[in-house]
Amino acid sequence: MHNSGLACTLNASYDEFTLNAEFAIEEGELACIIGPSGCGKSTTLQLIAGLLPLTEGSITLHGNDLTSVPVHHRQIAMVFQEYALFPHMSVASNIAYPLKLRHLKKSERTKRVADLLTLVSLEGYEKRKSDELSGGEKQRVALARALASDPQLLLLDEPLSALDAKLRKHLREEIRRIHDETGITTLYVTHDQEEALSIADRIIVMRDGTVMQSGKAEEVYHAPNSLFVATFIGDGNTLPAHLFADGEEERSGVVFFRPEEATVQITVPGEHLPHLAFNEATVESCEFQGGRYRLHTRWQGYPIICYSERRPKGKSINLTVRKKDLLYFEDGNV
Amino acid sequence: MRSRAEMERSGFYQRLALPALVVITLFFLVPLLITLSSAFIDEGGSLSLAPIISVFSNPYIHRIMRFTLIQAAISTLASLVVALAGAYLLSTYSFRFKRLILALSAVPFVIPSILVVLGFVIFFGNNGFLNTALMNIFSLSEPPIRILYSYKAIILAHTFYNFPIIMNLVATYAMHLDRRLEAVSYTLGASKAKTFFSVTLPRLLPAIISASSLVFLFCFSSFAIILVLGGGPRYTTMEVEIYRQARMMGNTGAAAALSLFSIAVTSLLLVAYNRSQRRLSKSEAYREPLSLEKRPAGLVGRVLAVLYTIISLLFVLAPIISVIVRSVYSSSTGFTLKWYRQLLNLERATSHMGSALTALTNSLLIALAVSLLAVILGTGLAASIERRKKSRGALELLGMLSMTVSSVIIGLGYFLISSRLRGNASLSYTLVVLAHLVIALPFVLRVMLPEYRKIPLSYAHSAWTLGSTPGHAFFSVELPLLKSAMVSAAIFAFAISMGEFNATLTLSSSTIITLPIVMYRLIGSYNYQGACALGTILIAVSAVVFIATGTAKGTHHA
Repeated sequence: MHNSGLACTLNASYDEFTLNAEFAIEEGELACIIGPSGCGKSTTLQLIAGLLPLTEGSITLHGNDLTSVPVHHRQIAMVFQEYALFPHMSVASNIAYPLKLRHLKKSERTKRVADLLTLVSLEGYEKRKSDELSGGEKQRVALARALASDPQLLLLDEPLSALDAKLRKHLREEIRRIHDETGITTLYVTHDQEEALSIADRIIVMRDGTVMQSGKAEEVYHAPNSLFVATFIGDGNTLPAHLFADGEEERSGVVFFRPEEATVQITVPGEHLPHLAFNEATVESCEFQGGRYRLHTRWQGYPIICYSERRPKGKSINLTVRKKDLLYFEDGNV
Repeated sequence: MRSRAEMERSGFYQRLALPALVVITLFFLVPLLITLSSAFIDEGGSLSLAPIISVFSNPYIHRIMRFTLIQAAISTLASLVVALAGAYLLSTYSFRFKRLILALSAVPFVIPSILVVLGFVIFFGNNGFLNTALMNIFSLSEPPIRILYSYKAIILAHTFYNFPIIMNLVATYAMHLDRRLEAVSYTLGASKAKTFFSVTLPRLLPAIISASSLVFLFCFSSFAIILVLGGGPRYTTMEVEIYRQARMMGNTGAAAALSLFSIAVTSLLLVAYNRSQRRLSKSEAYREPLSLEKRPAGLVGRVLAVLYTIISLLFVLAPIISVIVRSVYSSSTGFTLKWYRQLLNLERATSHMGSALTALTNSLLIALAVSLLAVILGTGLAASIERRKKSRGALELLGMLSMTVSSVIIGLGYFLISSRLRGNASLSYTLVVLAHLVIALPFVLRVMLPEYRKIPLSYAHSAWTLGSTPGHAFFSVELPLLKSAMVSAAIFAFAISMGEFNATLTLSSSTIITLPIVMYRLIGSYNYQGACALGTILIAVSAVVFIATGTAKGTHHA
């Protein structure tokens, strides 16, 4: 039993899609649901908000069973992909909408609207109409409006997908800051793994309507419980395990490691800890990424991505990976 | 298991359709069933096919059916010939008054048929403007054009009423076609004529078929024009015969049997129209109209364009302007406000003019009630159709169903009910309001549905997650966004009610007085100037609709 945070078991069947997800997040956490398109991320949010009916299962928030509570009584606010600001209302009226529903006095409403606008860095925007706002400003107003309802849980459905890359980066920091200031339990859907890794306390990876893994960002990155999670989040190299059979252990399946775990050897050999060696890997391309080089190499026909501090001089390099950094997957599982 | 949350939400939108469904069932389906059932009851009151058999074995009825279909076919063909020439000029060349012609071609969509009749008589009649002008110019002693009360008059009035509709639809469609296809055809070596027949015409055909089936439908169920201009049983159509059988011969069985035939034909035409519409919307990507720099080439082109402009203006505007002019001027009296004074009871009135003011207030009150009710019901129904997953097609069909039944037949049902109820005048007016409501509802639905469709579902979802009940969200978020659509739908419904003649005449007793009814009586007693004064008021209403719907088209949100 969870007394705090959100715990849900979601079962819903549609014509061509079945959702069967179970996960929990702790009170005050910022959790990201991530997965390829069509995996059921948005459906999950709509089920939790009460916008879609559950076939079976339960939703518990801060110890209260919300399963049969109608959407407008759940106190779960949601920010939609296209913002969904009411176009016939000013910024202030949009934010005051949930305040009016709670019968706040006009003076209190005005103050609360001003406070919320300050929180989202839009002081003085009260009188603007939604068509006078840029995409980023609309996003902030939508966030302020959602916060105005004093939600127990905040749902964000790909809130940054319609914005350009630079603004996206800035706004996700803003969302993190606002989350830290308000402390509201937040569930955030995105398909951008970089976005998820950078702001989430917890990452929930979904695929085909089920939760593959749920855990801290580092945990999901460094200890993925499946090949799918390993390859979906972050870069990685996958090679058949039988290539590395050295008598003592015969393994089938695949071996997986992150690019940063491969070390480029300047002089051969330099590694003393148990390791795999990929000697004379051909360098196919070399991207300068600012602080480092990202190399696309090919070793015995298999592509391997790795990083290097210097641009390699020759056409081939020698790589080593420590055995403790290797992950083995069989049929996609650990 | 459906959660309570789900039930409550979908329940609200389901309930929104309820008022409209009650009205459609009680005031459209029930009267229709009462009407049609009398086709299966003989004079003795027992179940039989006697009325149907006697009607459909009657050579007189055969002649009427033939005439109805033939006049509709000829009228459609005539409209098509006039319209396609215009559509060709409009979509190929740029010339002065082009936009004016396009705008004017929308006039017949909003003008009531009784006004067409009046304008036609005033303009083309023996003492009409055209004959007077011709007699003055050529110093003739006799009117040269004598077409009133004849086959020709019916065809001419139908053409005047309907060719702009085809022209408008086809020209608008043609202007949005991809002109590069013609260019490709030329570069492949095809001649201009070859290109037109093999590339342009096939792509225009769905639009032409769609517009023609609509016009055929209008001509088939035309009533006021035939009733007045046909001048008696020689040129009678199905609709007029239904009215005659029910109201003059007292033979409701025959009227009901004819109604069955009429509904079958109109339903077929509407299915054809819907099919072609669907093909239209699928056929080609809608393009922004190309800027046409092409000027009419050579003398022939220029003469054609000028001639066409004059004819269009003559056809569409002249009868309407004649009505306004004749309401204040005649050659015998000169300028006079006599008819408006009589209308307002400032002067002792002759013949039917005495009831004109009552008719005006009645019509205004009825139209006000109809527009309010129609918008409330139509908006609720539109929202309910759009926000449901299941059976939306069936619900939409139900909302549009009264379009498949001519207004004469709707009126007939109400006549049968009122003759059984033997009620007082206020009941009669209630029935008029309900009949108009049933007729106006599909038009309101057609305005509201696409407008409602534009509102993203996320607006309502946002409101719900912010703590708003489905009902409150609908009224505080969705309805304000529909304001302009509701206004234009209300104006539309108001105008339909103000000009409604067919159902009103069919259901009415002598106690029911509306503007078009008094106009009809004035025309019948040859008081054309009085009719013109009333007609001018109808023109003013139509003008408001024309302007309002024109501007409403450009407004959108989200």
